[in-house]
Amino acid sequence: MNASKFIVAAVAMSISVTALGAGAHEDGHGAKSGEPAKASEADRTITVEMHDNYYEPEAIEVQQGETVRFVVENKGNLVHEFNIGTPAMHEAHQEEMMMMVEHGVIQGGKLHHDMMEMDMGNGHSMKHDDPNSVLLEPGQSKEIVWTFSEKGNLEFACNVPGHYQAGMYGDVNFN
Amino acid sequence: MNRTKSLMAVSLLGSVLIPAVVSAQEMLSDITDRKKPITIWGAQFEEFEYRYSDADEELAVWDADIFYGTDDLKVRWLSKGEYAIEEQTYEGLENQLVGQVPISKFFDAKAGVRFDTPEGPDRTYAVLGVAGLAPQWFEVDTNFYVSKDGDTSAELDAEYELLFTNYWILSANLDATVAFSEDREIGVGKGLVSTETGLRLSYDLIDRSFSPYVGVVHERKYGDTADFAEADGGSTEDWFAVIGARLSF
Amino acid sequence: MKARLLAGALSMLLPMIALAGEYDLTVDRIKIDTGDFVKEGIGYNGKSPGPELRFKEGEEVTINVTNNLDEMTSIHWHGLILPFDQDGVPGISFPGIKPGETFTYNFPVVQAGTYWFHSHSGFQEPDGAFGAIVIEPEGREPFRYDRDYVIQLTDKHPHSGDRIMRNLKTTPDYYNRQQQTVGEFFSEVSEHGFMDSVKDRLAWGDMRMMKADIEDVQGFTGMINGKGPKQNWTGVFKPGERIRLRFINSSAMTYFDVRIPGLDMTVVQADGNNVQPVNVDEFRIGVAETYDVIVRPRDAQAYTVFAESMGRSGFARATLAPEEGMQAPVPPMRDPARLTMADMAGMPGMDHGGMDHSTMSDMDNSSMAGMDPSSMEGMDHSGMMENGDEVSDPFYAKGSGIAPTAANGGKFLSYTDLKAQKPLYEDREPTREIELRLTGNMERYTWSINGVKYEDADPIRLQYGERVRFKFVNETMMTHPMHLHGMWSILDVGAGEWNPIKHTVSVQPGTTLYMETEVDAPGQWAFHCHLSYHAAAGMFRKVIVEGGPEASQPSTEAATDAGGDA
Repeated sequence: MNASKFIVAAVAMSISVTALGAGAHEDGHGAKSGEPAKASEADRTITVEMHDNYYEPEAIEVQQGETVRFVVENKGNLVHEFNIGTPAMHEAHQEEMMMMVEHGVIQGGKLHHDMMEMDMGNGHSMKHDDPNSVLLEPGQSKEIVWTFSEKGNLEFACNVPGHYQAGMYGDVNFN
Repeated sequence: MNRTKSLMAVSLLGSVLIPAVVSAQEMLSDITDRKKPITIWGAQFEEFEYRYSDADEELAVWDADIFYGTDDLKVRWLSKGEYAIEEQTYEGLENQLVGQVPISKFFDAKAGVRFDTPEGPDRTYAVLGVAGLAPQWFEVDTNFYVSKDGDTSAELDAEYELLFTNYWILSANLDATVAFSEDREIGVGKGLVSTETGLRLSYDLIDRSFSPYVGVVHERKYGDTADFAEADGGSTEDWFAVIGARLSF
Repeated sequence: MKARLLAGALSMLLPMIALAGEYDLTVDRIKIDTGDFVKEGIGYNGKSPGPELRFKEGEEVTINVTNNLDEMTSIHWHGLILPFDQDGVPGISFPGIKPGETFTYNFPVVQAGTYWFHSHSGFQEPDGAFGAIVIEPEGREPFRYDRDYVIQLTDKHPHSGDRIMRNLKTTPDYYNRQQQTVGEFFSEVSEHGFMDSVKDRLAWGDMRMMKADIEDVQGFTGMINGKGPKQNWTGVFKPGERIRLRFINSSAMTYFDVRIPGLDMTVVQADGNNVQPVNVDEFRIGVAETYDVIVRPRDAQAYTVFAESMGRSGFARATLAPEEGMQAPVPPMRDPARLTMADMAGMPGMDHGGMDHSTMSDMDNSSMAGMDPSSMEGMDHSGMMENGDEVSDPFYAKGSGIAPTAANGGKFLSYTDLKAQKPLYEDREPTREIELRLTGNMERYTWSINGVKYEDADPIRLQYGERVRFKFVNETMMTHPMHLHGMWSILDVGAGEWNPIKHTVSVQPGTTLYMETEVDAPGQWAFHCHLSYHAAAGMFRKVIVEGGPEASQPSTEAATDAGGDA
């Protein structure tokens, strides 16, 4: 493996680990976004479309304790993320996504899978495969099953640099 | 017959019109001012001052430059005068009318006529000169003169500006004249004729249009010219305190 | 302005009829008050800037322009794609609008975004004849905002345009009050030593070039939406709202470095075309460029929109606040920049140290190879190019004295950050390359392309359907915002199909820049440096597009009148 791939791999891995940490555990303010679940446990399905650079819908309603199966489809021309978290978690994640862009992992409408899928040989993968988020190329579709175990200030957001600031996020409203 | 003639006329007209038709295919042709050389004018008094000499002589002095033209050709009227206030006479009065064309990135060539009409005998010269910006920001102006009688002389004028601030400016200038032949009637001897050295501290009060200054000027005559001056009862060396303004319109 | 938007009502009744709007503009002599001085100027409908024209994509607009001046006038719709005879350049698109005459423009609006309009006659634009155009898209925007404001910048000067031109021609440094002084020499001596300082002065003196030659025309008051810094234009917001700021630089000569202390800005559009959003702390807006940014002030406080001129000789200032009358501190201007020898590198006879941007695409990733991974930590990733600790913008000469940095040490927008949100054209190989050397002589204040002034130049001929690659080589020590009318300038930032689409591209001193143009608009067009006095001095060309759809072949009428145009 050449050095550049190693660097990208290392960066991607650290992102993956951090994002997982952010998704599954508390963030600095003690907020919690919920936890992953199995598709069979889902109470209902919500389809979220990704466009350049916004979601449809731009807000969802959930009940506390509800498990939702999200079907996320990228209908845009750019790579987008769907990530459930608090605004602070998103902000922290954006810095890491910035590095992915700078190192060429994300380039416009392309994800460089060869860089992402390398096996480090120690059980770590470079995939952006945290349970609270999916990263999709144009045309791709993936699912997330999520249990909203606690009420909180949650958003689903795209943390590809600039996208969140441009308005690519939606509110998770608890009923 | 008539018909043939008119046909000929039409075809003649047609051949004349062909270039017009071709350019018409180029659509609207730009005949606006944008497509014409920019014509500008300017009027500046590099010196417009009162001089008071160490011999209690008072002079009013100007050095003016008025021009009109384009990048490629300018017409300049250059006027210099030294008026003795007490005597009410022009010690010096010189007017040049020259055409000026660029010859290099920083230099222009000038050609024209010079009329000297001070108190005393008049002179008319042909002028050939080069003016521009020398390396290290020296403004230089060199001129070669031939009088109607064939007397030749040359003049070098150099100026340098030192910026104390962007408004307080110290300008130093040196003007030296060399004659290649004697013209006794106007007191010019062969060789180095005279120098004028000036140091003026100015302040740009209104843009660069009105810049009052104070300064000192040193004038000296050399060699035969100095001898002629002494013989005529004049001075060979003068110091002046000056006060005036640089003007530009 | 009476914007008679017939469409709204009509289209509901008659869905077949296309959206159509009619607008009236008068060109008037007006008084302009900057807060520092009051001057005679030219405006539209009695003011400068003129009214904000709000169009809708797909609308067929009719604009009646009445000339109340005693001289010829014209309006150019800067950045709009339209038939060439509607482009408003006297002598190229049409003869111009005579005094007392009403000219009716009529064209379909085929795009969306932030643009502007201005007179293309004489120095009417520097004298105040400009306004903003905002075009709402047919679909939704690729970003969200709760309200939007136009922020139209200008550099209002107490002198008239004609006077400025004459002064520059007579004394090129007439307005330059940032020249190196004796005092600066001594501070250089204490910093770099006597010999080096002397050598430096001699080197510049030998070229007869000034390090301070960044802004030809100083002494202006920077204005935003017709208000000087003291008059403080204010845009109100509710905390938490997302605001779209539509920056337009309508200056005659001045580049501005824009920041809003306390707010991050997300650039979402450049020259009317959406770009992939990029978060910045500060950006430089070239003359005639537009940038749309989104800001989200969360606190109920005032924020200063601060726009310093590139040469730091003046600034514009406005305020974003929850209510009128609030204001935030106005930062001091930074020290004036100085050109370096790197900026002179494009001059003939100098070392060609200018960067070739064609090599840019292989700069970012491949240069990472061979780096020690342990050095990754703590690296600064905010810039494009990393050489040691120094991060520089490849669109400036390496070591340039005018390459910008953010006041807060953060991210300064570079052209390399601009990526098209949605490519407008299919990416294809250019059919040919045209080299345009940007040339001039500061001491004579002559400006030209390939050494030839417009008055002596033949038109540039393009063939309809070709894709031309323009190579700009800046051989001067000044920045030139080059504007091609009628067709888009696809700026080569090394991003291939994602290269951004602009109408004005800034070419920095000592650099080479490439842009490509899909030649898809028949007729004849203007192509020039958008610095008013550079264009007037000859950095200007006519472009003729030959061939193309039959219907759009231009008429063969000749020019009727010679207006004073630049």
